[in-house]
Amino acid sequence: MTKVVIDPITRIEGHLRITCVVENGKVTDAWNTATMFRGFEIFMKGRDPKGIWQFAQRICGVCPTPHAFNSVRAVENAMGMKTVPDSVRLIRNMMEATQLGYDHILWFYHLNGFDYVNVPNTLNAKPGTPGLKAVQDQVKAVVDSGQLGPFANMYWDHPGYKLPADLDLEITAHYLQALEIQQRACDASAVLGGRYPMINNYVPGGVTQMPSIEDIEFYISQMGVVKDFIDTVMVPDLLAIAPYYLDLASYGQGVGNFLSWGVLDEKSQDPYDRLFPRGGIFDGKLALEKVDLSEARKYTKTSWYDDGVGGGKHPLEVGQEPINFTKMPPIEGDALPAGKYDWTQAVRYGKENRAMEVGPLAQVLIAYLAGRPEAKKLVNDTLAAVGHAGDPTVLLSNLGRVAARVIKAKINSDNAIRWANELLANIGSGETKIYEELDFSKDGTGESGWDAPRGALAHYAKIKDSKIDTYAAVPPSNWNLSPRDDNGKRGPVEEALVGTPVLDPEKPLEILRTVHTFDP
Amino acid sequence: MEHEEMSLFPGLSRRDFLKSCGALAGLIGVSGPMAVPRVAQALEQMAKRPAIVWSCFQECLGCSVNLLQSRKPAPANLILQQISLNYHEAIMAPAGSQAKKSFHETVDSKDFYYVVEGGIATGIPDACTIGGMTSMEMCKDAYQKAKATIAIGTCACYGGIQAAAPNPSGSKGVTDFLKEDAGISNPTVINSPRCPGNADDTVAILLYAIVKGKLPELDSLGRPKFLFGQLVHDNCERRGHFDAGEFVEKFGDEGSDNGWCLYKVGCKGPVAYAPCPKTRWNANNGWPVSAGGPCIGCSEPDFWDKQSPFYEKAPGIKLPGDITPTQIGVGLGALTAVGIGAHFVGQAATGRLFKGAPVEGMEDKGSEEGGK
Repeated sequence: MTKVVIDPITRIEGHLRITCVVENGKVTDAWNTATMFRGFEIFMKGRDPKGIWQFAQRICGVCPTPHAFNSVRAVENAMGMKTVPDSVRLIRNMMEATQLGYDHILWFYHLNGFDYVNVPNTLNAKPGTPGLKAVQDQVKAVVDSGQLGPFANMYWDHPGYKLPADLDLEITAHYLQALEIQQRACDASAVLGGRYPMINNYVPGGVTQMPSIEDIEFYISQMGVVKDFIDTVMVPDLLAIAPYYLDLASYGQGVGNFLSWGVLDEKSQDPYDRLFPRGGIFDGKLALEKVDLSEARKYTKTSWYDDGVGGGKHPLEVGQEPINFTKMPPIEGDALPAGKYDWTQAVRYGKENRAMEVGPLAQVLIAYLAGRPEAKKLVNDTLAAVGHAGDPTVLLSNLGRVAARVIKAKINSDNAIRWANELLANIGSGETKIYEELDFSKDGTGESGWDAPRGALAHYAKIKDSKIDTYAAVPPSNWNLSPRDDNGKRGPVEEALVGTPVLDPEKPLEILRTVHTFDP
Repeated sequence: MEHEEMSLFPGLSRRDFLKSCGALAGLIGVSGPMAVPRVAQALEQMAKRPAIVWSCFQECLGCSVNLLQSRKPAPANLILQQISLNYHEAIMAPAGSQAKKSFHETVDSKDFYYVVEGGIATGIPDACTIGGMTSMEMCKDAYQKAKATIAIGTCACYGGIQAAAPNPSGSKGVTDFLKEDAGISNPTVINSPRCPGNADDTVAILLYAIVKGKLPELDSLGRPKFLFGQLVHDNCERRGHFDAGEFVEKFGDEGSDNGWCLYKVGCKGPVAYAPCPKTRWNANNGWPVSAGGPCIGCSEPDFWDKQSPFYEKAPGIKLPGDITPTQIGVGLGALTAVGIGAHFVGQAATGRLFKGAPVEGMEDKGSEEGGK
C-alpha cells in the first residue's frame, strides 16, 4: 500500500487536499479535504435581505454571477415573487452567458490544459505558421532564461503526456489566445454589470437598469468573438486531442447519479424548460427524473461542524458552526483520514441518500435525455468522433466530463446572442419593466436552484423581521467534493478516484486528471 | 486556418509591449516624453524577470480572476515577458509537493516580490492550510524574505468578507496579522483594496516597485496615494446630478433611466476612496455605478459591516436641498458630513489623476509636462 497525498491541488478555485491509497498501480480508496473555512452562513445572519446577494456572490470569485442570481431569486421567492419581468429574465440570462463563456474557456485551457499539454515539448515542434513560430520563440525564451515560472517543477517527463509536439505547440498557442478571448466575455459582463468579477446590476426584484442599445450591441459583438473561438478553436482542439487520450474513457466513472437544477430561463421561466433543463439521473440508468430542491440533505459526521443536530438535515437546519477545531491530519506517515476530515459538509439527495455528481456532464446528459436538439446533435457527434457512436454510457467517465464542458460552452455561446436580440425586441415593443419593489415587512422562506458553470448550485434563505434569519448555499463543489456521509458512503470525487490508474505514485498525474475533470 | 489570422497574441508584439509600457507609465506617474522608453528599458534591462510568489489564503479567487482581465499589459505578456510567476496555485502547472517546491525555492532565494490575496486565518489557524502549512506560517515566512509585499483585495488588506462580524475564523489582513500575531512591530505592506482587487492596480503597484525601485507613498490605511487619494464621489460621472439634487429614488424609475445620482438607493461613493470612476474596470468597459448600482464602498476596511446595509443611504451626509445655483456652480460645500472634510476640495476641481499631472509624493512631480 502506498499513501499518496496531493496538497495543494492546484489550478482550482479554493484549497483542496486529496489523499489516495494506491495498490497495484490503481487507486483503491480516496478522501477529499477542503482545507479552508470562511463561515459565510454565520456572518450572513441578521443582514439586510436586499443586499445579501452582494455577500453571496463572494462565495466564489470564479463564478459569482450564478451565486448572485440564486441569492436574489431565493429572496424574491421568500417574498412571494414567483417570476420576474421578461426583460429581467433576459438580462440575467445574458449575464449568465458571459459567466459560462469565460469560465468554460478558462477551465479547458488554463486549469485543465496542463494535464494533457506538455509545454516544454513545444520546443520540438516544427511550427507551420509565423504565429506558431512566435509562440515557440516565446516558450524558448522562457526556457532559455532558466526562469520557468508557472511551468517549473511539473512532471513534464511523465509518459502520460501523449500529444505530438506540433499539437502541444498549437494548444499552447491557443492557451495564450484563450487568455484574450475570456476577457471578451468578461468585458460583455462589465458593460452590463459594471465589472467582472463581482457584478453590480442585480437586486432582489429585478435589475438596476435597462442596458442601452449601444451596450447590447457591444455585448453581441463580444459574445460573437467568444462563439467564433469556441466553434473554430476550442471544439476542434477537443477533437484533435481526444484520439490521444481515449484511455480517459476507462476511468473516473464515479457515482452514476447526476443532478442539475437547470440554468438559463426560457420565456416560461419553468426550470424544466430551461436551455439546460432541471433533472436527475439515478444509479447509472440513463433515464430522466424530476428533482426537488428540498431533497438536498446534509451530513456533518465526517466534517468539522457540529453534528449534534443529527444527520440528513435540510440545508437551513444543519449545524453551521465549526467545531472546536484542533489540527489537520499530517501529510507524512501512513495515517489515513478518519473521523472528521473535511471543511466541506456531505450533501446527499433524497431518502436514498444518493451522492450526486454535478457539472457539465450532468447538464449535458440531462439536456440530451430531455431531447434538446442541440445537445443531442453535439453528444452524438462527439460519440462518433471518439469511436463510440450511439453509446452515451462511455461519457460516464473522465472523457465525458472533458467533452461535456466543451459541448456546454458551445450551446451556451450559440444562445447568448439570442437573449440579447430578444432583449432588443422587448425594448422595441416597450416591454421594458426591469424592477418590482418587494415588500420586506413579511416573513418568508425561499429557495433557488440555478447551476453554476461547475454544476448544481442552490441557495436557501429564511427571512424574519426584515432580516436574514438563516441562509444556506449548496454550491457544486459541496456535491462533488462531499466527504463520506454518516453511513460511510464516499462522495463523487472520492468515488471517481477509485480505480484511477497511477503509473508513478511520485508523479500522480492521473489523479490530477480525475480531480480536474470535476473543475473543483 | 482562420483562427491563426486573428490578433492572437497581444503579449507578443513590440508595439503592444510599448503600448502597455505607456499605460503603465501613466498609471505609476512616470511622465514626460521619455516615460515610455524609460519604463520599457527598465523592464527589458533587468537580467531576470522579477519573480512573484502569489499566495491565495481565505479568498474566493476573484482578485486573480480580475488579474486575468489585465490589459496593461495583457496577461500573456505579463506572464511570459515581464514577470516570472513562480507560485500561484490557480495558474501554476505543478501540484502537491512539486508546487510546494516552487514556493520554497523562490521564497528561500529572497529574490522575489510577494503578493497576498485573501485573509489570514488567525482564530482557527487550520481554517486555511496549504500543503500542511497554515496561512499564518506561509505569510510570515514569505513576508520576511520578500523584497516587497503587496496585499491585493480587501481581504488581504483588512480581512475582507470572512472578517465580517462575527468573523468566525478570526480572519485578518496581512498588516494586522503581522503586527498582532507574528510579532513584527512595524510591517511594510502595500495595500491595494477593493473587492475584487483590481488587475490594473495590481500591475501598476508591482511595476512601480520594480521600475522605480521603491515603494509608492501610502495613506494611513497603507494604500498608495496615487490610486486611493480621492473619493469615488468626487470623480463620479453622476456627481452633477448629486449637486443638482437629482436622485434615483428606486430602480427602474425616471432617474434610473436618466443616470441620476444613486446616493438615495445606497451609494457609498461619498465615503469610499478609490479610483473606480477614473480608471474604471475591465478595460474601461464599466464600473459599479455605470451599471446603475450603488457603490458598496469596497475599498474601505470593514466595509461589509460599516458600509452595509448596501441599499440604504449612507448616514450623516447632507443633501444639496436648498442650495443656490451659485453654490451648485461651485459644486462643493454641499457635503458637510464627518469624514468628508476639505480633503477632497482641491483634487475634485481638477480631476486630473493619471493624466500626466503632478501626483503628491512622486519623484517626477512637476517635471516636463507636469502641472499643465
